[in-house]
Amino acid sequence: MSATTERDILPIATRAETSALAWRLVKSHRLPLILSTISFVIAGLAALVAPWMLGSIVDLVREDAAPADINRAAVIIAVAALVGALATWVSVACLARAGEPALAQLREDVLDKALALDSARVEAAGTGDLLSRVGDDARSVAESLTEIIPTLVNSLVLVGFTAVGLFALDWRLGIAGLCAVPFYVLGLRWYLPRSGPFYARERVAQGERAQALVSGLQGAATLRAYSLEGGQLEVITRRSDEARGITVTVFALLTRFFARSNRAEVIGLCLVLGTGFWLVRADEVTVGAVTAAALYFHRLFNPIGALLFIFDQVQSTGASLARLAGVAQMPPAPAGTATTPGEPGPLVLSAVGHAYVEGRPVLSDVTVTIAPGERVAVVGATGAGKTTLGAIAAGVLPPTAGAATLAGVSYDDLAPAGLRSRVALISQDFHVFSGTVRDAVTLVDEAADDVSVRAALAGVSALGWVDALPDGLDTRVGGGAHHLTPAQAQQLALARIELADPWFVVLDEATAEAGSSGARDLEQAALAVTRGRGSLVVAHRLTQSESADRVLVMHEGRIVEQGSHDELLHAGGRYAELWAAWSGA
Amino acid sequence: MVTSPIPPTAWALLLRGLMRNRWPMAASFALLSLWQVCETMVPVMIGVIIDRAVTTGEVRELVITGLGLVLLFTVLSYGYRFGARIGFGVVQREMHEVRVEIAAHALHRRGARSNLMPGETLSLATADAEMVGLVLRSIAFTVAAFFSVVVAAVLLFSIDVVLGLVVVIGVPLVLLLAQVVTPAISRRTEHQQATIAEATGVATDLIKGLRVLKGIGAEAVAGSRYRRLSQHARTASIASTSSYGLMTGLTAGLSGLFLAVVALIAGHRALSGEITVGELVAVVGLTQYLAEPLGMLGDISAHAARSHASARRIVTFLHTPPLVEAGGSSAGSHELTLRGVHAPGMDGLDLTSAPGEILGLAVADPTTAGSLVRLLAGELPPGAGVVALGGVPLAELTTDSRHAQLLVSPHHVDLFEGTLRSNVDPLSALDDAALQTLLEASSAVDVAALDPAGLDQPVSADASTWSGGQRQRIALARALAVDIPLLVLHDPTTAVDAVTEHRIAAGIRAMRGTGRRTTWLVTSSPALLAQADRVVLVREGRVVAEGSHHDLAHDAAYAELVLR
Repeated sequence: MSATTERDILPIATRAETSALAWRLVKSHRLPLILSTISFVIAGLAALVAPWMLGSIVDLVREDAAPADINRAAVIIAVAALVGALATWVSVACLARAGEPALAQLREDVLDKALALDSARVEAAGTGDLLSRVGDDARSVAESLTEIIPTLVNSLVLVGFTAVGLFALDWRLGIAGLCAVPFYVLGLRWYLPRSGPFYARERVAQGERAQALVSGLQGAATLRAYSLEGGQLEVITRRSDEARGITVTVFALLTRFFARSNRAEVIGLCLVLGTGFWLVRADEVTVGAVTAAALYFHRLFNPIGALLFIFDQVQSTGASLARLAGVAQMPPAPAGTATTPGEPGPLVLSAVGHAYVEGRPVLSDVTVTIAPGERVAVVGATGAGKTTLGAIAAGVLPPTAGAATLAGVSYDDLAPAGLRSRVALISQDFHVFSGTVRDAVTLVDEAADDVSVRAALAGVSALGWVDALPDGLDTRVGGGAHHLTPAQAQQLALARIELADPWFVVLDEATAEAGSSGARDLEQAALAVTRGRGSLVVAHRLTQSESADRVLVMHEGRIVEQGSHDELLHAGGRYAELWAAWSGA
Repeated sequence: MVTSPIPPTAWALLLRGLMRNRWPMAASFALLSLWQVCETMVPVMIGVIIDRAVTTGEVRELVITGLGLVLLFTVLSYGYRFGARIGFGVVQREMHEVRVEIAAHALHRRGARSNLMPGETLSLATADAEMVGLVLRSIAFTVAAFFSVVVAAVLLFSIDVVLGLVVVIGVPLVLLLAQVVTPAISRRTEHQQATIAEATGVATDLIKGLRVLKGIGAEAVAGSRYRRLSQHARTASIASTSSYGLMTGLTAGLSGLFLAVVALIAGHRALSGEITVGELVAVVGLTQYLAEPLGMLGDISAHAARSHASARRIVTFLHTPPLVEAGGSSAGSHELTLRGVHAPGMDGLDLTSAPGEILGLAVADPTTAGSLVRLLAGELPPGAGVVALGGVPLAELTTDSRHAQLLVSPHHVDLFEGTLRSNVDPLSALDDAALQTLLEASSAVDVAALDPAGLDQPVSADASTWSGGQRQRIALARALAVDIPLLVLHDPTTAVDAVTEHRIAAGIRAMRGTGRRTTWLVTSSPALLAQADRVVLVREGRVVAEGSHHDLAHDAAYAELVLR
């Protein structure tokens, strides 16, 4: 429970693993991939034609050729333009048809894995880690696939083919052009190690800025009540200014990097023209060839600039992809193979114990049997191990000692879905899922019709207010939509249990967040869902234990008393003391 | 701090950004224009080198023109470097100032009566503030592009009037033609982004509710719901990327065709000796280059529209009135009274407390309790009747006077990033011994014991690692830490077990029961109510019974609400 500084974040795939996964996903769309590759090659070749023909026009002019030859050269430029346009379109469109389904597959795999993850694993990593992967990372990869990747491939093809074109004109002109490459590389090698840490810091600073803003906006009422709003505004201002400072510093580095790329441009251009000059003097090439070479080189400025400019985005897309791949590649949780019991049988915990930290058990040697239909309440002070016991009984937390069985079958041998259809858990953390009220209830059974949904809502006395909502079952709740009170949210959670109809239900302080005035209705609803099924109710409102068949009193991880409400009251032990405190007697 | 008045309109907000940065912006305009003009000159310079050096074979000419090229690049490079840097600095400062202005309004001492969710306000302070800053950048690049187009036109006309006309009319025409598909593309891109955002939103929503999902085994249903949206996003992305490809192809194809036309005309004029070979190269080079600055000019209207939309949202928010009304009076005494108050869930409610009293308020309807707390916090003006402090209506008090007398601690707990100490005692007013007493009074000693660092243990944003009960007890300690004449606590112990609640009740009595400190407890907890000097039962918007907890226990309505 304590705040950890070093988080055990979820795995991030290596570059090799990421590439292998990306390749595996993409290659199932072979036809669009091949078409795309061919089209990129055609587009690259077509792009070589114009400067080459312009060079030949220069030569034609110098040779005083016939006007028809110039017409022919212009027509060739036009044809190449049309072919190139078509090839560009086809290449990008086909790339999308290969890449988008692959990405959709990846993000769906990631979400499935994320949903299957152990809650403890997610909490160790911090929910934020997982949230940023299924959120920001998935979005960033999806958006870059539309423009960044086509631009990247386009520019790479153009640069590659232009180098070939230079060599095709004359190998010495080709070498002169290539001489610019080391200067670009030098520029990158100067820039990347300097900017990398700044980008990392910039992201951190922006994260802190957002955090300060969110804390301030969400907690505005509290900040005002304690006259702390000025302090928070100072924090926001400072964090915003820090982020600004870093951004400006990175940009200064970027402009110096552009200066280095300008240097590479001018060196390359001078070399091409200089070499051309000597070659023309030695009568080795024509003026037209030199013109074509200069135009080739000049035309490279934009694609190279685009490459350098999107370099950061490509890197960040790569990082996001690696974070998605890391989750997608996590081994699947071991699933039990035993058949789910068909006939209701008791839920048995035998000598279970649990320690979140080794050597510090929060639960020791607890044995409980809950018969089908029996209502068992668990009471005790904070830290007595009630929640841990509930989690083990529900099968969301494997005990570190002892065993849990359902109708004689060990939890370990049951498939998670099978176990869950028999034993359900509602804890005090509630969440209103974005969607309609109907969606919220049918989470446990997509096929349920409105009649069963309404019956489930009626069972927990929620039908009244649901029907009073603007669009009834179709009212959108959660997110920025219609606001539900915590009590209403928990009623929907209880309605899910009604609909799912498991044999056993564990209610862990399911009424705690409701606030005192709303708690009574909720308690009635909670009582309703335990009717006719076995239940373990972790109660802090003792009305819940009063109506139970049996009460377990926990203290420091052990069961210290058990019996009916009346028996325990007469025994005059810890429970009697709790009851006295509760009823204010 | 931003002290300037709030601009009345979106355009005024954008204009203010330009005006308050006019000198550095002017410098940036000049340098960026120099850069763009030099970029325009590069193809012309290539033509000159071919004309004067390559065709002639004169080494002297090669050296001179080569030096000219180097000089051109030097000016170009420095022009961009410093022009862009100055402009970027201004843009970032403007974004920062607008962001702080938004935060300052949201965190105004009297609040902001805005119906935006925190997430929406966050997006105002980030995305929209950025769009407002970016308008300055667009203007700078537009000015530069404009100059470079003018220079290119002048150069073209000086080479050949016919070619000049063809290029100056033709290039914008080509760009215009390529724009034909733009609306379709932006529509598809918007649709794509909306589907991606929806899928992402659902994914994060599901992960936030992961515990709930796992408790009921809804992973498979959740996964299939996401899959459906992910497939929508896939289809939309393919459509959007395909139209992006169409636009790229169309732009490339049209400019290629236009280049063919220019090559044809220029070739014939060079053949007939009207222009030189180098001028041919310059014309062709300029034709290829001009698309870039003209493209920038084409983008300005789209950028301006986006920035204006952002600016409008910001201005609307900045003009929302304060949440809490305030006047110029100060309270004479700290007696809190409600007289004949009408509000949601209240039907002429009368309430008052004697100085030094702990008043228990057992409120049957949650709406009434919510209204009461908001009335006392000043966030809800009474529909009729008066809420007064020391005889002065709350709305007529100065904010300082109200804060000095009255603290309303809401049921919803907000904790802040920092340490346990900074959360309980944000103003660092207390020593360790006093803090220990507070933690004991609110039964939060075990929270401090969670971590060896004790009071100095780090607290993550909103203390998300703590349970509801732990958070409630820390919030209670924070409320008790303030030595305030009037304290209102709303359901401070709903997530706390009965034994602890009992201890807390005694702790509240110990901390607040002495001197003339008055405490109102809005609760239905018998443990808390038992510690009150006097309890009132509020039903159907008015007080229906009054007495000690013990006396009221015989009242059926009270017993039903409180004694369960």
